[in-house]
Amino acid sequence: MSRTFHPAEAFGPPPKSVSLLPFRFTRLLGKELLVNEAGEYLLAPDGTVDALVRGLPCASTELYKDLKAKHFLYDDTSSPLLDILAAKIRTKLQHIYGGTKLHIFAVTLRCEHSCHYCQVSRQGAAKGEFDMSITTADAALRLMFESPAPHLTLEMQGGEPLLAFDMIKYIVPRAKVLAKERAKLLDLVVTTNLALATDEMLRYLADEGVKVSTSLDGPAFLHNQNRPRPGNDSYERAIDGITRARRIVGVENVAALMTTTSASLDHVEEIIDEYVRQEFHTIFLRPISPYGFAVKTQKRTGYEMTRFLEFYERGLKHILDINRSGYRLAEIYTQILLTKILTPYGTGYVDLQSPAGEAWNVLVYNYDGNVFASDESRMLAEMRDNTFRLGNVHKDTRRSLLTSDPALAMFESSCNQALVGCSDCAFQAYCGADPIFHHATQGDMYGHRSSSDFCARNMEVIKHLFAYIAQDDASTMGIFWAWLTGRPIPAAEASCA
Amino acid sequence: MEKEAPGPYSTVAVELDGGVFSAEAVLKACYWFSKDFAYEVLRNAGGAIMVSLTPKNMPAPMMDIRAEFVSMATDFTLRERIEARTSSLRELLLAKAFAEAGVLEDSPQGVFGDKIEEEKPDGLFKILSNA
Repeated sequence: MSRTFHPAEAFGPPPKSVSLLPFRFTRLLGKELLVNEAGEYLLAPDGTVDALVRGLPCASTELYKDLKAKHFLYDDTSSPLLDILAAKIRTKLQHIYGGTKLHIFAVTLRCEHSCHYCQVSRQGAAKGEFDMSITTADAALRLMFESPAPHLTLEMQGGEPLLAFDMIKYIVPRAKVLAKERAKLLDLVVTTNLALATDEMLRYLADEGVKVSTSLDGPAFLHNQNRPRPGNDSYERAIDGITRARRIVGVENVAALMTTTSASLDHVEEIIDEYVRQEFHTIFLRPISPYGFAVKTQKRTGYEMTRFLEFYERGLKHILDINRSGYRLAEIYTQILLTKILTPYGTGYVDLQSPAGEAWNVLVYNYDGNVFASDESRMLAEMRDNTFRLGNVHKDTRRSLLTSDPALAMFESSCNQALVGCSDCAFQAYCGADPIFHHATQGDMYGHRSSSDFCARNMEVIKHLFAYIAQDDASTMGIFWAWLTGRPIPAAEASCA
Repeated sequence: MEKEAPGPYSTVAVELDGGVFSAEAVLKACYWFSKDFAYEVLRNAGGAIMVSLTPKNMPAPMMDIRAEFVSMATDFTLRERIEARTSSLRELLLAKAFAEAGVLEDSPQGVFGDKIEEEKPDGLFKILSNA
């Protein structure tokens, strides 16, 4: 026996007035995807937008309830909820306030590797020639701690920063003292290829709580091809370094990143399997950056964006299969975008922020004291393009860096709410603008979206993720939510005999 | 009225009713076609918007291009109409969001969720809500 409720009309009068709230839309999978200012979405039947513009759906329909619940319209019973929508917008845009969080110190340009895609390394340079000095490090630390952000990350990189280990040992204790004085939380990271890491160095990093970020481009044949060094043993040294770093610094404090070169494109499954073999639980399928030496060696390392997208989509499918088998492996770019699509939150990932996260959320202090808006803009400077050099630690204050002509030009050209091609885009809340990428690839910070690789990549990846979301497969969505929440990967359903 | 020369690299001509489509919506559609097409936009004496699209590199299937262009221009027209009805509210929502984050020097105008303000016939909320 069942009871039925009275129809909704019985519980109150229909709304006297109904109004639209701002939203953007696109056509996707035979439906219309509506996205509001806070990034909440609704996959609605074809014709919904036209119906909304011509008149509003009946208040008793499921579509009306969905549109109201997701803040695409409001009526005289829901107007107080507008405050909630403002709060959701604020939450999504949380990257804007708080000040610069990530501070990258390039402690040396010296490196013993000669990677085809590297922008900055100086092989065979004498000690001191391309190293950060003590006075530069002090000035950079002073600027870093002028940031109002309550939680700072100091990342030491190169070149190969372990070649300037004395400078790491100089910076780390001073940063800790400054953090304590100013009551700030501090994360410390060293980005190293680990080829030169001794146990003594690793013990120092462990004692000081410094995390390790390293490079692993795939199995030996691919890693060694991408990352040449004397002895052609980059892979063997990286694996040995990862093993020792995990033992000494801690498994949870060692992460790896890969770069996709043209040589990688046919091997996405092998790259992913290598990450599983090395017991990593995250992988970032990253395209090569179109900067620095990567431009010079484009014939050797570059490729069309369509080929990268095939690589990504094939890779994501393989990663999902691995998760279904019970091994947790999250793809970072997917995780960043799904956070923006499925949760109320934004992310700290600077490439997908509007206005641009560069300078606002990351500053790079080069060995010579020059300050850049991002690591990519430092790479451009190595190719004699100083467009994004904000100033110098010995001459500038935080205010003068962030109000410098390059910084202001970058902020102005990176609000996707006001950019041609972006202002109407349904994916705006999930995407960014990246003026440095567009300057490097199109000679214009604003960029031309219809021919932009940045736009092509993000449009296609977001559409691909919405295809998974629309499919609503319990296993796939369970894996996605496990990545977003940190919960265990759901066990595969037992098959029925 | 449509003109079309046969053969590869032909120009696709599209005529749109100037009373239905705005020049802005048509130009936005042109922008997204500009990766693969050179375009020209004119308004004729009768007020119709005439668009010619010439492939930059490859011959294009004419009917598909025309249909795709009209569909895109239609979507941009819909977006314009949504924008016209909601832009004031968007500004108010963003101002409210940033004000509570403490990053604006001035408080935004407008009131949310204030029943008394909503009751006023000339209240800011009423004016900005497009009700």
